[in-house]
Amino acid sequence: MTMMNEYTGFITLFRKECLRFLKVIGQTIFSPLISSTLYLLIFGVNLADKITSQNGVNYLMFIIPGLIAMGLINNAFQNSTSSIIISKFHGDFQDLKIAPLSTSSIVWAYALAATFRGVIIGVAVAMVGELFYWVEYDQFLPISNLFLLFLYILLGGVTFGFLGLSVAIYAKNFDQVSAVSTFILLPLIYLGGVFFSIETMAPIWKFLSQFNPLLYLINGIRYSFLGVSDFGPELTLPLSIGFMFLTYGIAWLSVKRGTYSRF
Amino acid sequence: MNKIVKNILEVNQLHKNYGDFTALNEVSISARKGEILGLLGPNGAGKTTFISILTGLIAPTRGSASLFGLDIQKHALKVRQQVGLVPQEIVNHGFFTINQVLEFQSGYYGIRNNQKHIDYLLERLALTEHKNKLVSELSGGMRRRLLIAKALVHSPSLLLLDEPTAGVDVDLRNTLWDFVRDLNRQNVTVLLTTHYLQEAEELCDRIAVLHHGTLISLDNTQEMIKNLTDREVKIKLASSTPWPGMPAGLEIEDKTIKCRIAHGDAIGKLLTKLKIPMEQLEDITISEGNLEEAFVNLLQQHRNKPQ
Ligand SMILES: Nc1ncnc2c1ncn2[C@@H]1O[C@H](COP(=O)(O)OP(=O)(O)OP(=O)(O)O)[C@@H](O)[C@H]1O
Ligand SMILES: [Mg+2]
Repeated sequence: MTMMNEYTGFITLFRKECLRFLKVIGQTIFSPLISSTLYLLIFGVNLADKITSQNGVNYLMFIIPGLIAMGLINNAFQNSTSSIIISKFHGDFQDLKIAPLSTSSIVWAYALAATFRGVIIGVAVAMVGELFYWVEYDQFLPISNLFLLFLYILLGGVTFGFLGLSVAIYAKNFDQVSAVSTFILLPLIYLGGVFFSIETMAPIWKFLSQFNPLLYLINGIRYSFLGVSDFGPELTLPLSIGFMFLTYGIAWLSVKRGTYSRF
Repeated sequence: MNKIVKNILEVNQLHKNYGDFTALNEVSISARKGEILGLLGPNGAGKTTFISILTGLIAPTRGSASLFGLDIQKHALKVRQQVGLVPQEIVNHGFFTINQVLEFQSGYYGIRNNQKHIDYLLERLALTEHKNKLVSELSGGMRRRLLIAKALVHSPSLLLLDEPTAGVDVDLRNTLWDFVRDLNRQNVTVLLTTHYLQEAEELCDRIAVLHHGTLISLDNTQEMIKNLTDREVKIKLASSTPWPGMPAGLEIEDKTIKCRIAHGDAIGKLLTKLKIPMEQLEDITISEGNLEEAFVNLLQQHRNKPQ
């Protein structure tokens, strides 16, 4: 087993995973893009004047980075889970266990393919958001720190690629996966500051929100886009990086110990 | 066999429990380089469990297994590089064509640009005309052949075949076995399970039999048949008329007598016992036992044995 073999195995799996979601681009890219566009249109454009400004910026500005983060997180997570669940149905998931692929190759291949899909969505949402902004205010919204934005997007994609991988490996069927996404992931996203600043929340919710790791990622993305957010990068970046390492550990153990057998 | 030949497969007291249920019970088997070893047993005997442990798909409860002299758990990746598996269950692949599936499979084993070998495999498995089809567009037998191609993209030195011919038509079954023989001549060691015992008899050098997770026999194919079956002797007579000295209770049916003798016994002894007059004797045919009989007898013995 040489390094070269290892690399070829990793690249092959990464390529396969990307090709997979690109083959069903309607479901994997266009459909989430349409729902983000509707959110932008309804809240950011139609209701913007009726919603009080958050973090001192108007509401369209506020939700563009929020929706980028939401699209990224949701799609990165779903890319890993649906690919693996379908693969378990087909029975080809066990090919990975039989082949000489190392645990870290499998983990990274899935996470980076998930990130790739998340980034495509994120960039597309940003473009649609900019378009609406231009229509409304006759100018584009400048990005405050492009480098930092990409860093957070990579962190978010990889982290939720890892998490999706872990959940899907342990899931016994599709229902368990959707339970995790509906009852855990979705509330954490919605309460993590996509649509509002936690400053607007009642103290008890504000307190509880501090334990939501998504809050820091979403605020990181908002800060790098707008230059304002509930928390600065000195807090959100280390926490997001820490969370990424934690989920990597979970994913690594899942791939190492989890079941590959078909449903 | 001399000692220099290394055991490609060495399994020691391999044990697998599913909860309270024992799927494999302290099984020890070894296979020599270049042999074809048959793994037989009724449904649920533990064959697939055994093979799945060798490929790392499931972990044994205890016991050890090494392939090519390397422990399968400590040197998992090195071992996997040299093993090809044809799983019992048909695998589907959703979005990808046959050729893509084989390209990906090559990639997993670290091989780029494997098209030449892929084309060769497609040709040998009569899949060339289907290479651009989706897996879902193939018939069951074609899918099984694809599984075989997938197992061979990296030219493994040990091939594990878990019922590779189930659902494959007669013609292709024969071509398939020819292919397996060819591979075996190129020094590929083969472990195969099948419920077609005639195929196992023709192909396998040795046969291991599992029964309720326990290894109940491991022997040379011919030895096993000899030890577990009788020879059937059919004696054709000129007429059905009884002769003086004919043993009581001997049945003549359609001018024929059927007798069974053990492999060690001489025909002469039987004929002396029957005292058939020479002019009555028209023809004698002897059929040797086959693996199927041996297998049935073996299981019979084990069923009768008190547990
Ligand atoms: N995941 C599992 N959980 C519980 N029991 C299992 C599991 N997998 C297999 N078994 C049991 O272990 C036994 C051996 O199964 P295995 O698949 O190895 O049989 P087999 O010899 O391959 O049979 P067949 O000829 O039908 O393919 C069976 O009784 C089966 O019910
Ligand atoms: Mg089986």
